[in-house]
Amino acid sequence: MLASGVPMEEEELQKAVVAYLRKKGFAKTEIALQEEQQNRLSSSSHPDLPLSRLENDPARYSGGYSKLRSWAYSSLDLYKHELLRVLYSVYIHCFMDLVAEGHMRDARTFFQTFREDHELTHLRDLQKLEGILSPSHLEEMELARSLRQNKVKIKICQYAYDLLLQYLQKTQSLTILGIINERINFEVSPGQPISISDDMEVVALVGSNHDQAKQINQKEVRWGLLEDSVEDRLERANSDSEKAEAENKELDPEDTKKRSVDGGKQAAPVKKPKKDKLVGATGKNVRSETSTAPVAPRVKPDLTLPIMPMEVEKAILEDLRNRVQLSSSALPSICFYTFINAHNGLNCSAISHDGSLVAGGFSDSSLKVWDMSKIGQSAKPGENDSIPSEHFLGTEGEGPYTLFHGHSGPIYSATFSPLGDFLLSSSSDSTIRLWSTNLNANLVCYKGHNYPVWDVQFSPVGHYFASSSHDRTARIWSMDRIQPLRIMAGHLSDVDCVQWHANCNYVATGSSDKTVRLWDVQSGECVRIFIGHRSTVLSLAMSPDGRFMASGDEDGTIMMWDLSSGRCISPLMGHSSCVWTLAFSREGSLLASGAADCTVKLWDVTTSMKGQKIEESKPSSINRLRLLKALPTKSTPVYTLQFSRRNLLFAAGALSKC
Amino acid sequence: MSIVPKETIAVIAQSIGIANLSSDVALALAPDVEYRLREIMQEAIKCMRHSKRTVLTAEDVNSALSLRNVEPIYGFASGDPLRFKRAVGHKDLFYIDDRDVDFKEVIDAPLPKAPLDTAVVAHWLAIEGVQPAIPENAPVEAIVAPSENKKSENSKEDGLLVDLKLPVKHVLSRELQLYFDKITELTVTRPESILCKEALVSLAVDSGIHPLVPYFSYFIADEVARSLNDLPILFALMRVVRSLLQNPHIHIEPYLHQLMPSIITCVVAKRLGSKITDNHWELRDFSANLAASVCKRYGHVYHNLQSRLTKTLINAFLDPSKALTQHYGAIQGLAALGTSVVRLLVLPNLEPYLQLLHPEMQLEKQKNEMKRKEAWRVYGALLRAAGKCLYDRLKLFPGLLSPPRHPGWRINGRVATSHSNKRMSSTNLSSQQPPFKKVAADGPTGAMQPIAMTANLQGAPDGFPTRSSGKGGSVAPKGSAVLAQAWKEDLDAGRLLASLFQLFGEGVFSFIQPVEMSFFI
Repeated sequence: MLASGVPMEEEELQKAVVAYLRKKGFAKTEIALQEEQQNRLSSSSHPDLPLSRLENDPARYSGGYSKLRSWAYSSLDLYKHELLRVLYSVYIHCFMDLVAEGHMRDARTFFQTFREDHELTHLRDLQKLEGILSPSHLEEMELARSLRQNKVKIKICQYAYDLLLQYLQKTQSLTILGIINERINFEVSPGQPISISDDMEVVALVGSNHDQAKQINQKEVRWGLLEDSVEDRLERANSDSEKAEAENKELDPEDTKKRSVDGGKQAAPVKKPKKDKLVGATGKNVRSETSTAPVAPRVKPDLTLPIMPMEVEKAILEDLRNRVQLSSSALPSICFYTFINAHNGLNCSAISHDGSLVAGGFSDSSLKVWDMSKIGQSAKPGENDSIPSEHFLGTEGEGPYTLFHGHSGPIYSATFSPLGDFLLSSSSDSTIRLWSTNLNANLVCYKGHNYPVWDVQFSPVGHYFASSSHDRTARIWSMDRIQPLRIMAGHLSDVDCVQWHANCNYVATGSSDKTVRLWDVQSGECVRIFIGHRSTVLSLAMSPDGRFMASGDEDGTIMMWDLSSGRCISPLMGHSSCVWTLAFSREGSLLASGAADCTVKLWDVTTSMKGQKIEESKPSSINRLRLLKALPTKSTPVYTLQFSRRNLLFAAGALSKC
Repeated sequence: MSIVPKETIAVIAQSIGIANLSSDVALALAPDVEYRLREIMQEAIKCMRHSKRTVLTAEDVNSALSLRNVEPIYGFASGDPLRFKRAVGHKDLFYIDDRDVDFKEVIDAPLPKAPLDTAVVAHWLAIEGVQPAIPENAPVEAIVAPSENKKSENSKEDGLLVDLKLPVKHVLSRELQLYFDKITELTVTRPESILCKEALVSLAVDSGIHPLVPYFSYFIADEVARSLNDLPILFALMRVVRSLLQNPHIHIEPYLHQLMPSIITCVVAKRLGSKITDNHWELRDFSANLAASVCKRYGHVYHNLQSRLTKTLINAFLDPSKALTQHYGAIQGLAALGTSVVRLLVLPNLEPYLQLLHPEMQLEKQKNEMKRKEAWRVYGALLRAAGKCLYDRLKLFPGLLSPPRHPGWRINGRVATSHSNKRMSSTNLSSQQPPFKKVAADGPTGAMQPIAMTANLQGAPDGFPTRSSGKGGSVAPKGSAVLAQAWKEDLDAGRLLASLFQLFGEGVFSFIQPVEMSFFI
């Protein structure tokens, strides 16, 4: 932190401003001027404010901070929480500056003295920062680095901002003023302070650059469903037959006309994004149209999709016809698969889409697959309680499961292809393996990641799959190539979970950097950054209509995101521990969540979506999603949830004796 | 400043062969060691999360180390928890207890049992959003909650009601069958074993055994009838009943009609157990309490439960042809039901009954040692029941006997009591006369007589069917009249005491607190 010529100028400027303000009080114009000054100062490429650094006394930090702290705590209640937010930023930067200047002992005492104030909201960050003990650690630790490189943006209301400036000038606490200038970008808003519940960003103020995130979130996301999907065809077939029944043959020409109009409507949103893309304009997009349209828009797939065999399609159509309509008053039946005698070794589980196959990945690098349809009739476990136990007693000599050996490290994730004929597993040996459940053999080993692969997910149409790893990347693969098709880099820490969008054009990833990102599969670019979680994101789910995404974190918070706006609709509080898994019901009205607190919770999502439509006119109103039911298990953490096509919910978990 | 002290660094350096590490180096190294430690723990926590666990294990730390390309630390990844021992002389210093293992022992030892293989079992966690009460599911708070839910649901959807009422075949899971077989076998074959006690605990807390209740109640009814002369089994069966009653997850009301006869049998049966030495009294007491607790808990649901029980008991009590053991059971059963029942039903019949009982208690009239013992037992039970009733009354109406307390007076009373006590006990022992006769002749109670008389006079107009038979001499009618009126709430406790005293002698006094007694004497 050297004093050069340019900062000296700045210093004079600063002094002039201070003097000016002191003379004039705090009339609006002065404030505006001051604000501009502030912004100019802070956005200048010289972060150093030498006037505060001339004296190299470590005590000035703690002195200045404790003064600011006592002032902030005794300030007006209405503005206190905004000031406290500033206080936290000042606190961590004071600490890091102390470390950077080499006052290790003072830094430690300073940190410990005021730690309690911020533990409630920022415990995890504090735990990380606590480990910083030498200037070199500041460079090494990703959190500290990003904190020091990026400016924190804090929304603050006009009056609180005035109060803060007044205080800083009155007390001449130049150290603190320097830190605030250097590290914080104020976004002053006129009027009343923002309510506490609204300021989600405060939590994630660290780690990623907000401007960048904002810029990225400007990009367009075509969240519509794939055109000509099986569901689509069923709907069309139904409406056609209805029409045919309802109308006479006389009206035939009109009917066809109507249909052609329908077709035209449907085609329009498809064409538009294409055109947009060609032109490269980001302006008016589908969103404005779709928010009013009752049905989700259709989009063309960016990937070449595998062709579905006829008989499979028939089976799916049959399932769709027999689907149970779920709502807040019609809750699903839940079939629970309990892993017993897992000896704490079960790391992950997977359930095929029809619930007939259950896979378990173990820490001893084995992968076991149970065919539940062979063990009695899995669809009706209630009637066959006694039969499975007979099977397990093992009179046939061989286990009731198929054992897949091949990995050389704990298995962290497994996923079934939509048709249940393939199984993918990812392991700490940094490979992904493809297994055939028909041949009971390993087909391919995909090597590409350099570190443990935390998660792997088949796309909704099969053939493609996505993986996420400790190496901070997510990758897109196709089954027929051993090299990844796309590598998505951008997360600042491990990518812990990955999930496909319903239309296969996007992939969402959740990370230890507490953000969720949405990536375009075709271009490999990040199109959304969702900031708001307070801890590692562990699970993701996409709504079937493609509009919403749910993410669950380590603290038990679940967040619902609107993909098009990139905003959090509302946090779902209820779980007390890690949310391992999330699943939307097939028609999208319910969200099921499974957590380490041994419960399955069902949430009503329809209210939020309706609310969302109203909300668009009034964005500040918060409507909480409703918890419909909490179903406790018998000391069994819930690892996996899967809705079958007929809307039967399958859940799996390992019985843990505690 | 680092949480790793530089001494630790020095010690580690020594252990890897660097003898003279300068303290500056140690001081510089310490912060970095702490940073690395934190880094490893951060990675270990990631590994733990992806293993879907919430408890950090040594394995996770090893995974984290291998993530950082560091050789894992061997020797800690075994399944059993590490045993830490406190270092002698240090409060906060622990070390891992690392035992030497003799290879020969390990080789010679028989192979341990292979651990059970992993398996998957399926069950319904919820059916259309409602959690079925099966053993695989977590216990619902109590049995009441789901039934309420069901009710509200039924009222909403009438269609569902019909579905629910459909006759269903009762299918027991294999586990439940095994459980039932094991428990029944235990109670019949080894009723006194520790295992049986554990089984009883399981019965009292297990949430999933509701489907077994009809089987258990049938088994109990059946087995009680069959093994009337096997006391241990009867006792074990009654304990099973108690456990079932205790279990909060069981809906036992529909099966009470099956269980109650068995319990009452164990209270008032003529013979329980085969040997003379069998302590069937204890069983009767236990069962009597059991019956009373059933009444207390379900009496409000089944209004005739208590009335039927008391009718049965009072019939047994008042029937002179019944054996004394049966009388004993009946008295205990009534006493367990509470003092109001005793006051209502036993006290009015006390006096004539005692007249029948006394001959049995006397050596000269009853030669059979066994019978006489039984009679004394019955006498004891009666005394206890009546005494408890009295005690209760005294507690209920302390105002009735609030005298102007005078310390000197009290001391005098005390002296008088002890004095009369001595006298009475001596007479009691020497001459085996019926106590009430003695009491009639006794001085202190003579003073009470006027009160008893007035009570009698008051009682007569009420038209209460007094049971004064006139056999007991001059005082007896008055006493019995008081007793006959004992059901009246406002009866003076003093009068009750007086009449009881006439019947039992000073044995009653043990139920009265000294302070209050001083007032009487």
